[in-house]
Amino acid sequence: MIRKHNFKEIGGSVILYPNNYINDIEGEKLEEMCEAFLKKGVKKIVIDFSSTDLINSIGISILIGIIEKVKERKGAILFSGLKKVNHDIFNIVGLTRHIPVYKTEEEAVSDLKWEDHAAV
Amino acid sequence: MKDRLLFNICPEGEFFGRLSEINYIIERAKEPAHPSRTLLLGRRWTGKTEILRRAHRELFWGQGSVVPVYYQFRGYGGISAAEDFLKEFIKQYLAFRKRDPEAIRQELPLERLEKLLMDSDSFGLSEIISIHNEAKRGGDTSAALKNAYGAPSLIEARSGVPVYLLLDDIDKASVADDGAPALIDALAGALNASTSFIASSSSKGIAEAGLFSHLEVIELKGLGDDVSVAMMAELCRKYGVESESEVLSYAAGRLEHNPMHIKSLIWAASRAGVSLKDLKNLIGVYANELFDGNIGCLLRSYIKVKTLNGLRVLNYIARSGSASEEELIEKFKCGKEELKKLLDEFSAAGIVEEGLGSIRWAGGRAAREYISYVFETRVKGRSPDEVKSSLVRDSLKEGFSLKGAKVQPRFKEDVSRLLRSFNGQKVLKVLLRNPVFAARFKNGAYRAVESRKEEDEVLLPQVIGCFDSLRWERNETGPAVIIAQGFQNNRYDSGNEVVWITGVKEALSPINLGDAESFIRRSLILKENFRGLRIARWMVGGEGFTAEAQKRLEAEGVYSTDSAQMRILKESLEDKGAAERLKSSPRIVPNKEFEVVIPSSTKAELVAAKAVEEIGTEMGFDENSIAQIKAALVESCINAFEHSKIKSGKVFLKFIAGEDRLTIHVQNSGAELDAPAGQGAAPLDSLPKKRGWGFELMKGLMDEVRLERVHNGAKIVLVKYLMRKGDRDDKEA
Repeated sequence: MIRKHNFKEIGGSVILYPNNYINDIEGEKLEEMCEAFLKKGVKKIVIDFSSTDLINSIGISILIGIIEKVKERKGAILFSGLKKVNHDIFNIVGLTRHIPVYKTEEEAVSDLKWEDHAAV
Repeated sequence: MKDRLLFNICPEGEFFGRLSEINYIIERAKEPAHPSRTLLLGRRWTGKTEILRRAHRELFWGQGSVVPVYYQFRGYGGISAAEDFLKEFIKQYLAFRKRDPEAIRQELPLERLEKLLMDSDSFGLSEIISIHNEAKRGGDTSAALKNAYGAPSLIEARSGVPVYLLLDDIDKASVADDGAPALIDALAGALNASTSFIASSSSKGIAEAGLFSHLEVIELKGLGDDVSVAMMAELCRKYGVESESEVLSYAAGRLEHNPMHIKSLIWAASRAGVSLKDLKNLIGVYANELFDGNIGCLLRSYIKVKTLNGLRVLNYIARSGSASEEELIEKFKCGKEELKKLLDEFSAAGIVEEGLGSIRWAGGRAAREYISYVFETRVKGRSPDEVKSSLVRDSLKEGFSLKGAKVQPRFKEDVSRLLRSFNGQKVLKVLLRNPVFAARFKNGAYRAVESRKEEDEVLLPQVIGCFDSLRWERNETGPAVIIAQGFQNNRYDSGNEVVWITGVKEALSPINLGDAESFIRRSLILKENFRGLRIARWMVGGEGFTAEAQKRLEAEGVYSTDSAQMRILKESLEDKGAAERLKSSPRIVPNKEFEVVIPSSTKAELVAAKAVEEIGTEMGFDENSIAQIKAALVESCINAFEHSKIKSGKVFLKFIAGEDRLTIHVQNSGAELDAPAGQGAAPLDSLPKKRGWGFELMKGLMDEVRLERVHNGAKIVLVKYLMRKGDRDDKEA
């Protein structure tokens, strides 16, 4: 089920806003939302982490799962609004090599070329 | 599903701790190239049988290179002992070859086993049975024992597969029927050849007899405070007993962390429908258990006193802690032979230990109170209710005073641990002179004098052992005294032998003049036990010293240390770098320690994260460093939750805020933590692996990450160095 206030649809893309702590429970909620949008045919997803202070390793594994699903559907995914510590975490795991990261959601959305280099 | 039960063990939910011991046995068993002989020494009902049976189960199902054979000595003698061992050995050998647990659980006669050996193409082994039958017909016990105990090495030689014996209650093999050869001699003769084994015993006699060469002794203590309390909390939850952690902590100590006694107490509370939320209930349940319940029954099963004089002797040893042979002979008017017989029986039961003419009580507190009960009722003629009532009264008083000073046992242990870490280091003398330290300790920091000289330092001894003074001070009150023995100047001769007599005040009040006088008097008496050795005297008070006490101790040349000095001393002993820094630093700030305990439940790690945020901010970490510490701490907590064996277990966190670093210890309730798995390099174009990032994240976010082995498990240690605003940016640039 898609929850209100946790996402914003813009044209054929969607911006998701996870909570301040991404653990197993929050990660699964995010995964459900992504699946729901992918089923609806939305193939461009931005996850904006500006409200997220902490992401744990279980959250990371769920994010990797989400990226895999988007990849299977030939979609594209972008991250934005990462706090420095979360950027460090994505660096350690190696996600920043695969996913473009933008400072703000506006930058991610307005980047006209994002579809080309964000396709995973 | 195939039934994998081999020997009875307690349900998984009721078994706690002891993983390191089990794993150690398994590792030793798997080293057939080096025959190992291990003795697991522990009091009755401390879990030795459970450990051996669980290790056997792991070896039975988890590997194929060593044949595990578990045997419990039952007190049989002569030919019956040989036949029992032989039957069990052959049965288990065949069961292991077929991985068939059913065979282990069946009672099979020797004839049937012989046929099974033939059926399984083990013809060469059936001669063991033939030899046994021949010895039995001729009544040759020695030949039968030699044949039975030699069977493992024969099978090793014939099959090429090593055997690992797990011998439970081996002390029962040393008690011979009158006239029959003691089993232990035949066993030692056979096993010293090549067979690896672990044996459990409640008495030290086996180790002291020197029958087995290269025998390694593992002493099994109680479960440890944290594991015992977690175990009690879990059992209370399971059996619907309401409890309060402080009461459980006192009960765990009172029961000396004995797992069987702990279980019995909780079962009794559950049966009686009594909560363990206050001392009165706890002591009431304990007294009933000790006299009429399961604990009493367990104690009666091995404490056998046949005569009233025997009871008098045992009660005297139990009450006084130790006694000499002459003292007992004189006091109880018994002959040397009679006393020897009594002591042999008590020693075989593991309740007394003998050595150099001195007899020491080794049975623990519950056994001592049980003996006292039997003595008071049978010898003095008091009624059971009267004895029970006085036990409850004394216990309540003791428990009440313990509750009033929660830090008691920990502080004494801390001092003892600190003494053990003395290893010839040089430390600032001011850390051992409270008046000087206190005069310059303001606003949480010590301001050093400008010019420091070599004589401002004290050379600590290399401490080789610590023990308390109870043996010499039976009726003394006042601060606890720890005796630490060691050497100095790296010379191990009489001239450099040194003894530190250390008084520790554990109560929540400063050391006053009365405490100081008491310690000085007692230390002068204790000194007599160490004539000719160098003596140092030291008083440690968690709450500091009164001015009169400081003055008195200083005049007597007694070192004095409060908790702030102790924290600095501890830091300088643990870290060479810190010790050097302290020597030249104009300002010394003692480490601050914070402890937080969180339950293993969803989002509890955020409580730890919040705590570290406050501590980190107070220390001066920048925002990003705090975020990194929080993320790493969350990972370590999740790791601890995942690997806790106890559903309602707790995770214990200790934050040590030093001048230049924050150190965090994360430990769970007695289970192993995940070792760092290491992430193999994934191809650049493929996505990272999904799982196993916890340790990688900790290592990437912290400056140091260590996994340290501790009693009953492991703990994660995280360290972050403090770089004030700008330092870290410079470093990163």
